[in-house]
Parts: sequence; structure tokens; C-alpha cells
Amino acid sequence: MAAPCRKMASRSYSQLLCCFSRTAVGSGACRRFSVTPIDRATPRASTAADRATSPWSLMAAVCLQRLPVITADCSPIEQRFKQMLQQMELEKSMLSDHELRLMEDAERMSRRQADDYDSDEDLGDQEIMMTQDLEDTWEQRLKNFQPAPRVRADVDEDLTSVQRCLTDSLVLLAEQQVGAEKLWLLPQAAWQEGETLRRTAERALDSMTAGVRATFLGNAPCGVYKYKLPKAARTESSVGVKVFFFKAILVDGTPGSAPTAPLLWLKKSELQKYLKPAYMMNVGRFILNL
Amino acid sequence: MSSAVSRFIGGVLSRQAAASRLLLGECNPAVQSPCFFPVATLKTSAPLRAEPKKKKKVDPRREQMMRERLKKKLKKLERVPPELIPIEDFITPTKCLDETRERIPPTVSFEESESRALLLKEWSRYKQKQHMAEVEAIELALEAQREALEELKMESEELYRAALKPDPLLLPFTHEGPAYTPPIPNYDAPDGKYNDITKVYTQ
Repeated sequence: MAAPCRKMASRSYSQLLCCFSRTAVGSGACRRFSVTPIDRATPRASTAADRATSPWSLMAAVCLQRLPVITADCSPIEQRFKQMLQQMELEKSMLSDHELRLMEDAERMSRRQADDYDSDEDLGDQEIMMTQDLEDTWEQRLKNFQPAPRVRADVDEDLTSVQRCLTDSLVLLAEQQVGAEKLWLLPQAAWQEGETLRRTAERALDSMTAGVRATFLGNAPCGVYKYKLPKAARTESSVGVKVFFFKAILVDGTPGSAPTAPLLWLKKSELQKYLKPAYMMNVGRFILNL
Repeated sequence: MSSAVSRFIGGVLSRQAAASRLLLGECNPAVQSPCFFPVATLKTSAPLRAEPKKKKKVDPRREQMMRERLKKKLKKLERVPPELIPIEDFITPTKCLDETRERIPPTVSFEESESRALLLKEWSRYKQKQHMAEVEAIELALEAQREALEELKMESEELYRAALKPDPLLLPFTHEGPAYTPPIPNYDAPDGKYNDITKVYTQ
């Protein structure tokens, strides 16, 4: 029934969201978070003033994930349980049509080979295909089909390929210049006036990779990392940086043509080698390995 | 009306007969011929005799009521609820109740059953650990998001409000789940042949 499993949300939920957004634009309250209604009397100029006084500069980053393409191998206990379940199911089941046919054919063969065989019993050319022959044809057809290999060791080694490690979900990392040094980070860009943070994240993704299609999951950030600039670089107006992360899911596997910065696709376990410890601890919270 | 008319006519005739009796009464006071009355009063004319014009006002109403009663009875008969469409999944097909299909119940040794029970317990422990890990991971992610929104609120109200808006273009969101083997690039899948034998019910 559900041979390829697809995660799909219904249109009715989107309609609910649409009508909710129509009503929510005024108050700005969100269903999940209990937020007191924001005072609409404050004029827009004060928000710009807020930004001017705040010592933190804003950046947005994108956590682009390529979800698993094939099912993972079963762990030992899973394999044992699978075998046991299959055995138990077989014991509790009834004989299927195919098995009945096999049994009948076997009986007929044994009757034919008996000495007192009456050829009138064989009602003409009834069984053109013995069940065993059917099984053989099916096996032959299966052998003719060559599926793609599940694991390819050479592709797994290549960290820049998006086709590596098809059983795990991969995260995109880019090497970027931060201050004086080059660091491996989730692709980020500085926030500019007049755009939302999600737009900033989309810009970051487009600038690092070209032609990668991703679906951003919502307008809300999934995490924040704030760090203070080294004492030498600190001024009155900029004490530190807040980086807001946005989650996105890779839609098609076409990697960016001629990316501007070196890119890596890494599993969660491999991220530790490339990210700074504090950054890793923060980012590891919202990168789910499910 | 015709009855009133006939009564009137009868009254008139009787008055006339009375008048004529008075005139004739002087001649024969003792003999009062009764034949006058009937002849005089029962002056029935042909139209008066022909149809039983008993068209009373009650009759059309009575006919209408009869008709209404019949219509109501018809409606009650027609108000049969539509036949329910049977749910195919809930009806056990007769093939399954066939006795010739029963397998020979296999004997399971004592060790085998013991190992099965132990494996089931191990499996439940494994699954529980997996579930708790999942729940923990989700809670961490939610916590991270909550912190991010708090920080954003401290930064700028406008961006915070923009972040809280739901994204109408996100849903409906589809994603093909993992299969057993990866897709073959540029594979032309052959068209499958099938006979659709689903029963379609109309109410």
C-alpha cells in the first residue's frame, strides 16, 4: 500500500495555516509559543533605533541537510528479531494459493509415477505451466534486473560528493573567512537592512553554492550561536555576533556548479573534526541524526 | 341548495294546496283528499330527480385528506435509508476459512520458545532506549529553537515577528523516503500491466 514511504502534509493543514496567518498578522501571536501581544503603538523608527543601539551584529546561517536515500542496514539485534518474526509469522499463517498449487502439482506427479496410473485422470492439457516453472521464470526475471549498488566505497571517501553515505543524513559545511582566519562553518551571511533573517540565510546558501534547490523549513530560526569578538576588535557598537541558524532540506542532488567556497558534506559524527568545540556543541543540538 | 329549493318549492306548493283546500273545503269539509298533498308537494322535475347532487363542502376536503394520507404513506415507504457500502477489509473472505489451507502446526521446542521470549524482552529494551534517545534529541532541538527566538526578540521586534509568521509555501511538503537501493540514473522504468478489479459501489 505505501511502498515508497512519503512524508506528506495535507492541503487542509495549509489552508488552516493560511487562514491563521490572516488573523495572526495583526497580533503577531504564534500558537506554539505563549507570547504577549506586541504593542503596535511603537512606531517603526524605534525598531531601527533598537538595532542601532544593540551591540550585537546579526548573521544568518543555513543548516542544509541531505536526508538518507536508502535504508540503513539492520543492527545485529534487529536482524535476529526480523528473522524470529518472519519465522513466527510463517508458523501462524495459512497456506497461500501458490503453495497449494505446488502441493497439488507434487501430488499429481506422484500419482503419475505410480504404477496404476490412469491416463484418463489427466484431463487434457490442463497444466501448461507447472508451478515450479513459474517460479523459475520469476527468478530469471529478477536476475535480469540489476539494481544500483547500495554502498560504493570510493564515493563514500569523497567528502565533497553529495552521493556519499546514502544511509545517513549529511550536513553541508563551507570554509569561510571569519575575522582573520578561515574556519569551517555552516554557510552564513551578514544580515542587511530590509530583509528577514530567512532571506539572509537563503542568500548565504545561494552565494556559497549555485543552483542548489532547498526547501527552508519555516521562518523561525532553529538555533543561535553568539560569540564576542576578540578584545582587539571590539568597539562600542559591536561587541559580538549572533548567528541564527535556519534548517533546510536538499530537494535534488545536483551539487552547485563551481561553488565559490570549498564545500563538504559530512555526517554528524564527522562534524566534530571540522568544527570548533563550542560551535559544535551548539550546532549539534538541532542537527538531528534521525 | 337544491334541497332548500325543493323545500321552498314544497312549501310554496303546500301553501297553494292549502289555499286550494280552503277553496274546496267549503264543498267537501269532511273528505280531505290526501292525494292532493303528494301530487302537489312531490312535483319532482327531471333535473331534480336525475343526479344525487350531494355536493357538500366537506367532500372535497375529505378527498384532499385522503390524498394527503396516501402521499404520506408513500413517503414513509420511500424513506428507505441508502444501503451502506460494505467495507471490504472487514469481511473475512471465505478463502481464509477454508480448512484445507491450514498448515501443520509446527512443534516449537522448549529452548526455542525460551530464546524467543528472551529476544522479545531484549527487543523491547532496545526499542525503549531508541525511543528515549529520540525524545531527548527532539527536546534539545526545541530548546535550541526557543533560545534562538528569545535572542532574536531581544535583538529586534520586527525580525522576531517576521520569524513567527507561518510559511504558507511550505505545506504541502513531500519527500520520498529511503528505499532499499539508490535510484539508477537515467533509468526508464517499464510500464506495469495490471487488471484493476476493485469493486465500485454507487449509492
